[in-house]
Amino acid sequence: MNGMHLSRFPLSAKVFCSLFLLGIGCGSLAAFAQAATSVGISASAVRASLAPDLPMAGMRHGEASAEREMDLGELSSAAKVWMRTPLLIQTSHTHLFGQTLISGLLGLIFLFVPLREALKAAIVALPFVGTLVDIGGMWATRFVSPSLSFLVITGGTLFALGYVLIAALSMHDLWLRKETT
Amino acid sequence: MIRRLVFLLCAMAAAPALAHVTPPVLLVSDRDAVTNLLAGSKRYFVREVRLTSAERQAVQKETGWAPDEDFYRFYLGRDNQQHDVGAVTFLTEYTIHGPVRVAVALSPDGKVKGAAVVEVSEETYPWVKRLIDHGFLASFAGRDAHAPRPQRGGSSMQGFYGDIIAGLVQRAALLYEAGILKRAHS
Repeated sequence: MNGMHLSRFPLSAKVFCSLFLLGIGCGSLAAFAQAATSVGISASAVRASLAPDLPMAGMRHGEASAEREMDLGELSSAAKVWMRTPLLIQTSHTHLFGQTLISGLLGLIFLFVPLREALKAAIVALPFVGTLVDIGGMWATRFVSPSLSFLVITGGTLFALGYVLIAALSMHDLWLRKETT
Repeated sequence: MIRRLVFLLCAMAAAPALAHVTPPVLLVSDRDAVTNLLAGSKRYFVREVRLTSAERQAVQKETGWAPDEDFYRFYLGRDNQQHDVGAVTFLTEYTIHGPVRVAVALSPDGKVKGAAVVEVSEETYPWVKRLIDHGFLASFAGRDAHAPRPQRGGSSMQGFYGDIIAGLVQRAALLYEAGILKRAHS
């Protein structure tokens, strides 16, 4: 960017950028583990956590009550987060702010990597697009169709891909690129 | 340039730290909560009830809490002779720190058999754990929907979450009374 590259940063700035990228990487791994244990990382697990709660007892519209015998196997044996609309609102507000700011900080560092503009624009957009697809997918799963739960997985994958590319290219530029004068 | 960049990074990082709701802590699965709270049951049934407008208004008039127009789900346990052992329902309150989800078991006469905290947030957990450790949940046993709430003591946040849990237990008892007990007697 305007001739300013990561490889020309002073040592303190290189250490700062590297530790930031490392910290976000560790945070992302922890977030992945959290998502895997509390919800699951398959489209079906996301669907089970987010899809509208349909009657189990076969209660029709307008009926005051319904009952049927059930098997305990119908209840989840795993302790899983059950996301209803208020929790979806909370999750959306924290993750949209948090992930967008993380994307912004990653992008800010990545802007100083010398790359073709089109390629740089595509890579810098990945975490932002991933965040929007991820959170948008949660709402779509809840209110449009449970079959759209794959969007949540797709969004998370895009975010992760964006992080990996940004971190790898930035680290390469910070520490491995030889300056030619 | 570098100083400006560092300042910008710090300013941007401060916002999500302030706005963070901590991750959920799952204490027990739904199946385990139902099995534990309905010990002695041989067969299980699911009953869903939708309160009428009059039933919702009656609950709101008495307690100030307005039930949803949507349905509520009870898991019923019965013995081999088809006698009711009890019913369990799950209710959630969304606080500024995240959700608090509670399973409440009710006897066939509408009195609380037991309660279990199913889910809280990481930040809430230490306050709720102290309540659980001090036997707060056990103190609901034998109370009906209209009994005064048990004393919860402790710090202000512990007290706040004690009130949240007590409110959920009372709502469960009210829903059982309005949606199952009173209908059976009418």
